[in-house]
Amino acid sequence: MATTTATISLSSDLLSDSMSVSADTTCMKAGTTADGLDMMDYGYIDVATGDEYDILDANNSGLNTNKANKVYLANHSTDETFYITVAIDGAIGRLYAGDWMFIPWGCVDQHDDIEIQAYGGTNTVCYALFHEGRTLTAS
Amino acid sequence: MATTTATLTLSSADLLTDTLAFTTTATLTTAGTSTGLSQTSGLARTTTSYASSGVIESTNLYRSDDATASGANKVYLKNLSTTPAEYFTVFIDQEEMGRLYAGDWAFFPWSATSGTKETFIMTVGGTWVAGETLEFDGVLTVAANTTVADIATQVDAQHFPNWTTTVSGAAVTFTARKAQDAGTVVTATADMVIVQSGGSDATAVVSSAAMGTATESDIMIIPSVHTSMTLEHMLINE
Repeated sequence: MATTTATISLSSDLLSDSMSVSADTTCMKAGTTADGLDMMDYGYIDVATGDEYDILDANNSGLNTNKANKVYLANHSTDETFYITVAIDGAIGRLYAGDWMFIPWGCVDQHDDIEIQAYGGTNTVCYALFHEGRTLTAS
Repeated sequence: MATTTATLTLSSADLLTDTLAFTTTATLTTAGTSTGLSQTSGLARTTTSYASSGVIESTNLYRSDDATASGANKVYLKNLSTTPAEYFTVFIDQEEMGRLYAGDWAFFPWSATSGTKETFIMTVGGTWVAGETLEFDGVLTVAANTTVADIATQVDAQHFPNWTTTVSGAAVTFTARKAQDAGTVVTATADMVIVQSGGSDATAVVSSAAMGTATESDIMIIPSVHTSMTLEHMLINE
């Protein structure tokens, strides 16, 4: 099995006391401790302002549903006014220049594509999907 | 200005032929600016637990009203369970994001698309007698004198559990604390109770009522088991 770890460190002087939160997880297949996620899709794309894409397509992904898939998205734009909206059927949020996100993805049905739309200018987006494998469609 | 940073490190020595190792750091700022996010819920823990025969209900972790709509708000979640099969299903409004298994965490932006809050205007009128009362939302106001503007000011000074108020003359504008689609605004008029003295014609007429609309992106979680599970969470917002 593959061992992939994801670690987050949050630090801030927002409160009177310093805030420092750290968490790490080994990306395992659903419900296991012995078998790690062993498949990965990775991409780096430019998205012109106004363009809207399914950056990860639930309908044609062949992924098994309700697994422990993980999605990483980062906006590598440098203009602070640039952002992409991220949605799974409904809106999740805006990923501004320099922001990143890391979420589980249930990929429950055909409507659960991960959709992005660019605003402000051409946004450079990096994405990765860690998953349990997929059923490939015969050509 | 507060400086809050979020760093992600993803690493694997054996997922690919080459070693996977990347780190990205975001300094969390308000939408479209370089100004740091200035508010947070603080780090919190929520434990869910249900009777074995009961229905597992969803828990509303953050309401859209809690943050600025379309802002650069960020949410951190971590499932503290140590039982591998236990997970929280994360929803935004009615849409399922995914399952957060034991030990897993998530960090994501949040639009916090809110609904609108119900409002109505109550105008104190008629002839009041000192000592007459007006009750609404469980709060009793006792008229100190006979002047309707003074009574309206007294109402405005109260702290209603579900409403905020402003006053202008004899008119008090009520605004619901939370956005929701209650389906009707009639409740407001029905709940306004005046206890009059004999011969008094004290009134509190409700007008200009506007129904609220439901929030669209509350963050909700559902645990996978009836037994106790704990989620650690934090909202950092504008």
